[in-house]
Amino acid sequence: MSNQTLNVFMPIAIMMLLAALLFGGALLAAHLLSPKKPGGDKDLPYECGEVPEGSAWSMFNVRFYVVGLIFIIFDVESVLMFPVAAIFKKMNALGNGTYILIIFLSFISVLLEGIAYCWKKGDLDWVKSYKRTTKIK
Amino acid sequence: MENTIAGYFLSFAPVQHLADSLGVGFTSFLIFFAFCTLFLVILATVGGFGTIAERKISADLQARIGPNRVGPYGLFQLIADGIKMISKEDIMPRSADKFLYYLAPFLSLFGVVCTIAVMPFSKNLILTDLNVGVFYAIAISSLVGVGIFLGGYASNSKWSLLGGMRGASQIISYEIPVTLTIMMIVLIAGGLSFNTLVAEQAGMPWNWYIFHNPFTFIGFFVFFISTLAETNRAPFDLPEAESELVSGYHTEYTGIRFGLFALAEYIEIFVVSAVSVSLFLGGYHIPFGLLEGTFSNEILQFGSLFLKTCALYYVVIWVRWTFPRLRVDQLMSICWKYLTPIAIFNLVGTAIWIVAFDGRSMFDLFFGSGVH
Amino acid sequence: MFANILFSVSSLLVISSCILMMWTKNLMHSCVYLLGVLIGVAGLYLTLGADFVAATQIMVYVGGVVILMLFAVMLTGGKDYQSQTQKILNLFPSMGNKYTFMWGVGVAFVFGCTLIYFFRNLFSVIKVIESDDSYTPTIERLGELLVTDHLVAFEISSVLLLGALVGAAIIARPRKERPAFIDDIVDDHHHDEEHH
Repeated sequence: MSNQTLNVFMPIAIMMLLAALLFGGALLAAHLLSPKKPGGDKDLPYECGEVPEGSAWSMFNVRFYVVGLIFIIFDVESVLMFPVAAIFKKMNALGNGTYILIIFLSFISVLLEGIAYCWKKGDLDWVKSYKRTTKIK
Repeated sequence: MENTIAGYFLSFAPVQHLADSLGVGFTSFLIFFAFCTLFLVILATVGGFGTIAERKISADLQARIGPNRVGPYGLFQLIADGIKMISKEDIMPRSADKFLYYLAPFLSLFGVVCTIAVMPFSKNLILTDLNVGVFYAIAISSLVGVGIFLGGYASNSKWSLLGGMRGASQIISYEIPVTLTIMMIVLIAGGLSFNTLVAEQAGMPWNWYIFHNPFTFIGFFVFFISTLAETNRAPFDLPEAESELVSGYHTEYTGIRFGLFALAEYIEIFVVSAVSVSLFLGGYHIPFGLLEGTFSNEILQFGSLFLKTCALYYVVIWVRWTFPRLRVDQLMSICWKYLTPIAIFNLVGTAIWIVAFDGRSMFDLFFGSGVH
Repeated sequence: MFANILFSVSSLLVISSCILMMWTKNLMHSCVYLLGVLIGVAGLYLTLGADFVAATQIMVYVGGVVILMLFAVMLTGGKDYQSQTQKILNLFPSMGNKYTFMWGVGVAFVFGCTLIYFFRNLFSVIKVIESDDSYTPTIERLGELLVTDHLVAFEISSVLLLGALVGAAIIARPRKERPAFIDDIVDDHHHDEEHH
């Protein structure tokens, strides 16, 4: 396992190439075989039979963005944890089990703090409940 | 030699002879190219059969007959479907973003097809056993989310956009429990390459990682539920919820482009099921070390993996036709408030288990070391 | 051999996507070209044998950052905005008026000269290195270093990420106060939410 050549990455490159070929081939076949009669109402976006009103590209809710932000933090944390997880078994076999367990658990506990904070503050709720500032009625 | 299919073939004398004249790099390229094409053709066929399986099984569950006109038991329906897809007009909305509209199905397909490069089908029938195998698979499959989002955005249709936004946020959210659960298996196996992950699950079913300890048993279900959401399957099919969003992110896609989206989805289900099998259900291993070291052994291993994957595929379809769809807020709270904390709990539990019991499994502890 | 091909293709992808990314005026297209840049950079990492870093690049940037950027563009509505600068500057990305361009060129010139001065020795020692395509898998070595030599950095990075998470959550959180007139409109529907 120690010394390999970069040829091990070759299938990935070939797969990317083949995906492009498959896509291109399918499109080419469709281009040759399918009828092309543009015009009329069929190239309007479908809105249940109504003529669409305005563009669909409108401003979107910020909650998607919050999900993305939280995801990236978790993603980076898991990236950092993977190398340690990969040598966990080896370190345990060498007799350093408790040492690496403490390292691993302290890292996860910080991750847990993060999720607990977000949970408590309601950032994980999809439908946010708002606190009223003014009382009516 | 390397743990790739080219490395395996280069250990044979005739191929070695060929490599001497053509160069190792070019010979590897030829072998890789042949097998990549083979794998892609097989998986595209499997994806096509997936659509039939879905229709047949759903018909069965609803006491109908299902497609039965094309070929015996409607088995050639996929060819008919393919011809239909290709020969339909390829309509693009006038107001669509042309560049992204063309690109989106490609990204979706690209993300799925690239994961095949590290799929272990048998001990040597693995295109390349990368040292970061499973990590690479998680990484490259996140391209599917980008494809779905762009497909929804580019159509310039309100239904599509809603579906695309939902799809992208759902896929990135459920990637967290998936990653944490995979990390739990990595802790036990001690490596990220697929052969390492599968290696110690050899032999009888009680060596499978799903039975390694109580945490992995829970972990399997966390993983399975999360992958249902990752592949946009019911009950998590909100991006293409047909009763509210018409058809979600591919509402405006017609003809072959829709076909490619669908193909990517069905291949992805198969790939993800195969990953579940490799991580939890013993992978390609067969009991008793049957025909060890022969070529038939490889075929049996391939059959073992294929059967288990098809069984899981059946469960995925079964789940789709059994459970009602979730709401968006339920979807998010299941991910962030249930699956992610459970996955972290499993991870911690497994780490402690490994240190406390020196990495031994439940059955090993109960019945001694004689059960291997 | 394969390393050379991989390097050529990856760097071509990076350079072409980079130019297109800067050239296009559509934010969404920019994000997609950025995707090409990031995948190309992952390919460059692979040529150096850094498999884990390459996978990380794809996982974090392609799977996370690009999707986050797409969401961020959706916050603005995702339409393409035409630049409002003078005619000849319309050819360039819309970064400002002619004064900003003049300043930019000046700063780039000074900065470039400084860099060339510092790296002048580098150009004289460059040789064409015969690559033998060999590489050593990195992940175990990375793990060992993270739990021995760089243990403090590893643990502190988790605290850093916690800070980033809390900061992101606070910034992105919708303001709790709402103007009273919205309450007037939705009051009846949300009456039972008082208790939450």
